[in-house]
Amino acid sequence: MVSAAQTKFGRLKGLTLREIFGEAVDKATIHSDIPKEDIQAAFIGTFIPEMLVHQGHTAPLLIDFAGMRGIPATRHEAACASGATALRSAIMAIESGLYDTVLVAAAEKMSSVSTNKATEALAAAADDKFESSMGLTFPGVFGIAAVSHMEEYGTTEEDMARIAVKAHKNASTNPLAQFQKPISLEKAMDSRYIAWPLKLFDCSPISDGGAALVLTSNEKAKEYTDTPVKIAGTGQASASMNLCDRAHLTSFDASIAAGKTAYEMADLGPEDIDVAVVHDCFTIAEIIASEDLGFFEPGHAVDAIRDGETELDGSKPINPMGGLKAVGHPVGATGVKQIVVIYKELLGEAGKNQVPNHDIGIAHNFGGTGASSVVTIMRRYDA
Amino acid sequence: MKDKPTVEQYLKNIENGDFKAYKCQECDAVVAPPSGACYSCGGTDMEWTSVSGKGTLVSYTVIHVSPDEFVDEVPYYVAIVKLEEWTSVTGRLMGFDPLKPEELEIGMDLVLDYHKGKSGKTYLAFREP
Ligand SMILES: [Zn+2]
Repeated sequence: MVSAAQTKFGRLKGLTLREIFGEAVDKATIHSDIPKEDIQAAFIGTFIPEMLVHQGHTAPLLIDFAGMRGIPATRHEAACASGATALRSAIMAIESGLYDTVLVAAAEKMSSVSTNKATEALAAAADDKFESSMGLTFPGVFGIAAVSHMEEYGTTEEDMARIAVKAHKNASTNPLAQFQKPISLEKAMDSRYIAWPLKLFDCSPISDGGAALVLTSNEKAKEYTDTPVKIAGTGQASASMNLCDRAHLTSFDASIAAGKTAYEMADLGPEDIDVAVVHDCFTIAEIIASEDLGFFEPGHAVDAIRDGETELDGSKPINPMGGLKAVGHPVGATGVKQIVVIYKELLGEAGKNQVPNHDIGIAHNFGGTGASSVVTIMRRYDA
Repeated sequence: MKDKPTVEQYLKNIENGDFKAYKCQECDAVVAPPSGACYSCGGTDMEWTSVSGKGTLVSYTVIHVSPDEFVDEVPYYVAIVKLEEWTSVTGRLMGFDPLKPEELEIGMDLVLDYHKGKSGKTYLAFREP
């Protein structure tokens, strides 16, 4: 990986999906001294522009707008994991020898519709026939997971609120974040229920944003930079869409399986990870992901959170820039933005959000009810 | 009842207050909601079966913010319930105060019922026996 960039996340008034996408691509190419002419193919992530901006067939449209008319461009959709699945296709395309240099880019424009309409669009990532059709929402899905986790391990609403406080604290020094104000534990605890036991501050917001990466073969990387970041491992898995078909609700099988594949490919384990970005669409999701990836034993992530181990300066920093929770969650773009965060952290370019040790990083991106999960392990050029 | 079971008919049965599950013809496993392949053996030959209606509470939530369609029903419970026949389904919970969710107990006994919501839909629902 020789370049990685994201746009500002938030309610980007006056900007359309294509403009947000174009800005992300420009930041990852011309602003990073990578000529667009070198890009041979584009792997694009968008979740549901059909419902959000009334636009399908986004890949050729977006790549044309970004000034690369003619190259093969393919859209990837896996709900919130759309971005990471686009990255995986790019990795496979380079590994196969088909291309040397490719673009991974993703964007979502969500603020153009009402909150209820956005909620409806998001619900399309769950099973329409058996769960969302009876009024189960996304916060509800994670509310159910939270209830199971609380019952099994004694996790509390305050533990979840601590994740929100950490996210907002980290985002307060991230100029690209949607929310840049720290919040108190009381404020998080006092917010209203969205889907009991999850409150407003347990939920990621509705956001617009884009992100882009340039990947090239090991041989070509030196032509672009002295400090490329290596993809050490990648894993992906699927699981049942319906919660009721899961054997357990306190962990996500697809995340465990994707993590295992990625660790094996990288020949690394959870203890080797210096910095992690996990899919915290809801606070409980960060708790469960950090257990599914093996950082903590099941039920013990909350101890690490209480002890500050997952803070910026802790032994296992998680979501150092503020996560989906406070940076924002433009669904299709999130998986690519997570890779941008790890890229910057590994190169020591994360500014006030820099973690102390940064040889090896991991990104965990999952889709919808957890039915898709993608895990990517990255390594600094000299690590 | 000799027709091959379909998702459309499964949903119609709930709408008519006559819940039926699938039963795998290979291994007799009860499968609900419908799946194209049996969870136990992967078999794809299914028939309808009745269930006792007895189940236990696996997990639950209370929805306070909903899509437009359900907005007149909030706050409402959605729960995962494990049927006696060893398959779990998602349904509404009736007869409990949605503002006192901490009073419910995981593992409590429930029985299958139906609830006609303000949305006009009939939901699979569960209540205390
Ligand atoms: Zn079977």
